[in-house]
Amino acid sequence: MNIEKGKEMLPGGRSRWLKVVFSALLVVSFSFSLVSISSAQATRAKRAATTTAVNGSQVRRAAVPASPGKQKVSTTGQPGQKTQPASAPEKPAAASIKGIPEATLQVLKENRFLEEELKLAKTPQYYFVLNLKERTLELRARGMVLKSWKASELRYTGKPVPLQVTTLTNKTALNPPERKVLNPAEQQAEEARKAAEEKARQEQQKKKENGKKQEQSQAAATTPADTFDVEALEITDMPGSYELNFDDGLRIFVRSKSGFSEKFRQTRETLLWYTWYPVKHFLNRKSELRPQLILYFDNMRDAQGIYWAFIDGLKGIIWFP
Amino acid sequence: MKFWKVLLALVALVYLSVLAIVALSWMHHLKLSAEWKTVWSFELDPKAKVKPEAQNAALKKKLQELHPKGVYIMVDSAENRLYLKKDGQTIKEALVSTGSGVILVEPGGKRSWQFDTPKGEFFVKSKIQNPYWVKPDWAFIEENEPIPKKMEDRVEAGVLGDYALGFGQGYFIHGTLYTRLLGRNVTHGCVRVADKDLEEVFKASRIGTRIYIY
Repeated sequence: MNIEKGKEMLPGGRSRWLKVVFSALLVVSFSFSLVSISSAQATRAKRAATTTAVNGSQVRRAAVPASPGKQKVSTTGQPGQKTQPASAPEKPAAASIKGIPEATLQVLKENRFLEEELKLAKTPQYYFVLNLKERTLELRARGMVLKSWKASELRYTGKPVPLQVTTLTNKTALNPPERKVLNPAEQQAEEARKAAEEKARQEQQKKKENGKKQEQSQAAATTPADTFDVEALEITDMPGSYELNFDDGLRIFVRSKSGFSEKFRQTRETLLWYTWYPVKHFLNRKSELRPQLILYFDNMRDAQGIYWAFIDGLKGIIWFP
Repeated sequence: MKFWKVLLALVALVYLSVLAIVALSWMHHLKLSAEWKTVWSFELDPKAKVKPEAQNAALKKKLQELHPKGVYIMVDSAENRLYLKKDGQTIKEALVSTGSGVILVEPGGKRSWQFDTPKGEFFVKSKIQNPYWVKPDWAFIEENEPIPKKMEDRVEAGVLGDYALGFGQGYFIHGTLYTRLLGRNVTHGCVRVADKDLEEVFKASRIGTRIYIY
């Protein structure tokens, strides 16, 4: 009976379930749009607040200090930075920062970088500067560039790294290079055994081939030097993909694009980076997200060169000019 | 039929929910990325007499003053290259051999040596023509020979080439007989250069010339 009534009320009642599905889709799409718009507005508002702080027309999380003098200002007031907002964020905007042109603030930012670099340049050890904007990684000493690498691609996520000196704690790689260990006594015994074996083999061969052995040894003696397999740790022994861990929690993944396995790894990482990582970060947004950087190099030797130069304890600065 | 319709509706709902989560995650991700560009801090002194621009110039000047003046030497141990520089310009480039990174263990395991070329800033401390090599203990241990007691037995002429520039702790930039191995990491920590190239480096440098090894 009811069905009949329903049929009367809704022409085409057989497709009632399709209408239910359609309505559900509509409702979900509508709610999704609402959530997206509100979230986008919130993001835009936050970004605008940061931008205005940089523009100097309005200050967020920066306030007039109780007593006149030096005040420490952070444009976003992220935790973990050396300098923190001088006073409570609820206070009205600072008149002292208000009206500072963007160009001046950029100069202030560069000054901040130069102050940090000066600290490093005063020491005899070389250091690194990673420019996120230019995608350049430079090895410097006394403020002078020793070596420079340009990454073909750079990605970053997680909590931003503050503009301050950071220290490399360790490097991790799937196949880290291993130093060769020489134990002359054991080696000499081994060499003597091999020489005896070789001598016996040569003698046998000599009998069979009557002089062919001499020609072969002459050919071996003319092998070019650069094809020698030397007992050493060289740049080619360094890995092309590895991870650099820093004392402030930053992780830098260095990858080279050469080789099929590397391309496969890169594709997998790209998929993860753009799908799983954002979701993971969103779901764990209230916890501290470790800053992460991925640097891709077209040439494997660049990645190997960085592994070579980045010794444990190396200091450096990462910044976005 | 009803079951399939409900299932379809559920699948559609799940799909849209996932889409919504991904979209929100992406917004969060973009927000985080944007913060990398804007997060920085500085000290602002409202009563400061020095303007930021002036401070910037002063900082750059301080940094510039730290740059080496005149002639200096740069050694790229990864590529085995030596660069002789003057006021930032390369005036000579040479193929060298640097430390092998090998570990030598004394029989019995009492002592061990790691043959690395040291990295960092150094200064030319000595300039020697026709140098003699006073062989250290490891040179004998490596050859599995007994360590001599007399100094005379340690001295060997000719193996360090025509010139040597000492930069401390027994390390030298010196010539070599093994020119075929230039470009490879084969030394015990010293920097080997072909005599012809080293002559120019030797003449251009003086005591106190800076050496940067990386």
